[in-house]
Amino acid sequence: MMSGLLSIARAEWQFWLRSRLAVGALLIFALLLVATSLVTALRMSNAQHERAHQQTAAEETFLSQPDRHPHRMVHYGHYVFRIPPPLSIIDPGVDSVTGQSMFLEGHRQNTAMFADARASAELGGFETLTAALAYQLFLPLLLIAIGHGLIIREREENTLAPLLAHGVTGIQLYFAKWMALAGASLAMLLPLAVMCAYAFFQDSAPLASAGVIGIYALYLLVWCSLILLVSSVVRSRSLSLGILALVWLSAALIVPRIAVESASSAVPAPGKLETDYNMQAELREVGDGHDAGTPRFLQLQADLLAEYDATRLEDLPVNFRGVVAQVAEADLTEVMNRHADARMALEADQARIAASFGWLSPVVAVSAGSRALAGTDLATHHQFLRKAEAVRFDFVQGLNRVHTEQLAYSDDINRSTDAEAERRARMSADNWNVLDQFVFKPDAGGERLARAYQPFAMLIAWLLVLSAIGIRIARRVQP
Amino acid sequence: MTGTMRELQFLAKDRAVLLWLGIALLVTGLSVLLGLGEVASERAIISELIDIDRAEREAQRELHRDWGSTAYYTFHLTYDAPSDFAFAALGMRDTSPWKHSIRALALEGQIYETDADNPDFALIGRFDFAFVAAMLAPLLLILLLHDVRSRERAAGRYELLSAVAASPGSPWLVRAALRAVALALCLIVPLVAGGMLADAGASELVLASLIVALHIGFWWGVCALVDRFCWSSPVNLTALIGAWLALAVIAPAVMRSAVESATRLPDGGELMLVQREAVNDAWDLPKSATMEAFVERHPQWAAYTEVSQPFEWKWYYAFQQVGDQTVEPLSHAYREGRIRRDELAAKLAWFSPPTLVTRILQDIAGTSMKDSLDYEQRVRDFHAVLRDYYYPRLFRDEAFTDESLGERPEWSTLPSPGR
Repeated sequence: MMSGLLSIARAEWQFWLRSRLAVGALLIFALLLVATSLVTALRMSNAQHERAHQQTAAEETFLSQPDRHPHRMVHYGHYVFRIPPPLSIIDPGVDSVTGQSMFLEGHRQNTAMFADARASAELGGFETLTAALAYQLFLPLLLIAIGHGLIIREREENTLAPLLAHGVTGIQLYFAKWMALAGASLAMLLPLAVMCAYAFFQDSAPLASAGVIGIYALYLLVWCSLILLVSSVVRSRSLSLGILALVWLSAALIVPRIAVESASSAVPAPGKLETDYNMQAELREVGDGHDAGTPRFLQLQADLLAEYDATRLEDLPVNFRGVVAQVAEADLTEVMNRHADARMALEADQARIAASFGWLSPVVAVSAGSRALAGTDLATHHQFLRKAEAVRFDFVQGLNRVHTEQLAYSDDINRSTDAEAERRARMSADNWNVLDQFVFKPDAGGERLARAYQPFAMLIAWLLVLSAIGIRIARRVQP
Repeated sequence: MTGTMRELQFLAKDRAVLLWLGIALLVTGLSVLLGLGEVASERAIISELIDIDRAEREAQRELHRDWGSTAYYTFHLTYDAPSDFAFAALGMRDTSPWKHSIRALALEGQIYETDADNPDFALIGRFDFAFVAAMLAPLLLILLLHDVRSRERAAGRYELLSAVAASPGSPWLVRAALRAVALALCLIVPLVAGGMLADAGASELVLASLIVALHIGFWWGVCALVDRFCWSSPVNLTALIGAWLALAVIAPAVMRSAVESATRLPDGGELMLVQREAVNDAWDLPKSATMEAFVERHPQWAAYTEVSQPFEWKWYYAFQQVGDQTVEPLSHAYREGRIRRDELAAKLAWFSPPTLVTRILQDIAGTSMKDSLDYEQRVRDFHAVLRDYYYPRLFRDEAFTDESLGERPEWSTLPSPGR
């Protein structure tokens, strides 16, 4: 039984190998896949090394700063770099559009700067041809080119009747042809599998690597079932190819962009600039931590004086300016985080709406799943922003603590006019170790896999529905 | 003429052809509507921001009554309003900022901030007319034209039809021409309708329509070329889609890599680090060192460089300026590099008609890389004007008055580029 199926599948493979067109297309695609995979892998691993190096350099620079007033270090600030995760060699995801470095300083949440997309040459088409894009968009074209005539050819060449007469059932024929096309698609997964293996040795997240292979395999099988379905329903190769080209056109080019447009009009999200402006009024209420004279801090002053039973700020055991800086930073951060969280929630909603178009196009499903698994999706970018903010807040407050506990208030207020006080207001550089090392890693493989459950579910649903219809039709196949 | 009429009737009855044309009309209409919506929302955002920005500056005016802290705390909104044709090609507005708020501190620390949309969106791209015209239209034309001859050949009518026709190629030529013209109309009609709604200039619309027509003409030529090999329809279609893939996808990607490796840019991260070091080191340097470096570029303030206090605002702004001066070579290289990349891309675009169409439509719409760089330059110019406004007030220690504050330059009053 199985050998019968295999021999039909083998006959199909032999047919492709004899057809110059099929061989040519296969070779060109194999070359395309290998080339884009290599280029993407090289580009991303360069970026990994470069940014890791820059991150270390930034930390060393911060720690090697000389003695100075701690608030100067708050404004001196620190840089964090988003180091692409290992699987980004397959799918760089949002890396090219989000900017690679971010400046962390007191009182502000900056955006990431230097997005590649802003500096790259504008040549239309797709942003960059990555391995992920080659698999998601262009490999299905190859499958269509070699597979659109799978069953029709048997019909057109009058070999269907003899096959059926020899006792091959329609379902057996369906499975044999499916195996032929699926075998070819899975062979094309080889470059991807090699890259996944490479990524696995880098971060040993076996679930994520396996997930990437799994989701692309599933995706290609969806296309196989679709192609086979069209090939068994339609009576002419030309029409079959036309229909499949149309399906590809809408699934790969139209629906993803419609998804974007729908999501952006369903959930309008204000930009960073609007958010910043809208926040200004609230921030004024918090008060400026540089100015201890605002009413809100006068109250704080009275409270502190009462608590320590003192009459002058100079008599407090803590530096009042440092206290103000700490309180203001905490309140300010609370406001900034609230707005940032709201904005991220809106973006996540948008992403969710866009991803739901995976029910309409397997391309949308696989690209969302692939980014989630590779750790290059929006959710991971948000985690990076949150982690960077945590580092920012910690080092700023650490410096403010030094300001509060080690710097005498009298020196602090006189340092702008008294050179001696200015000298004493410089704190030892040993204090700069309040800066934590910035290590950002995407979620563990299991969590990323969990985040990709919806795309997986979509693709499985696609596969089941298409195969079920295909089998129903195959059962009644007639010459 | 009767031949043309007859072909027109065939076309009207050919369901497959009508399907492709219907799809073309639908996607074009949709892209135009979405583009119009996007432009409207950008305009709404800008006008809202202008109001907020004004209110915000009013509020700052109440809070700060000296030049130093006013300059420190006041942000100024800058923006690049979309043109009337921008609906057709949103272009770089997707990834590059078209709104930016800056203040009189060191510019290099502010100018590279991105205020982009959801990164997922920028990654996938927008569904604008340029995308339809450059990427989808060739595919639809390929679907329309790949079987003009081969279908009749497969049906066994080809020899007969050729023999009875007035001239050997004429029925096929007329048939293909009708389909190509119909497709061009499906693109141009919604574009012109949208253009009229958006008040776009007639010359822009004519030029864009011409580009679309030429692009379709090019792909017709490709189809005709493939048709000469007398392959069967499926082979034709496969070869044509291969040609599309090569010209619309692979060529741009290869050219992009080529451009990027041919023109290296200084690393953005390094640019930022140099700038920060320059600004922050100034705190520890002797004040005279900063003031000397400052005066080199601004000799008119040489008489006012005496700094007697450990902190004075004029010294603070002087080292902000010196910070920008220090990073200038890198910043220039970064900017020049991007300009060179764009120029190179403009030349290479001739190898890929879809790329060329995209770039030309972006040029017409004022949404190209060049426009985005122009906006950046205008922000730089505005920042320079802002500094020129503050420097006399800071260095001569002028009195802070509302009248003097009223003279502060505003983005909206700056001369905008002639568009």
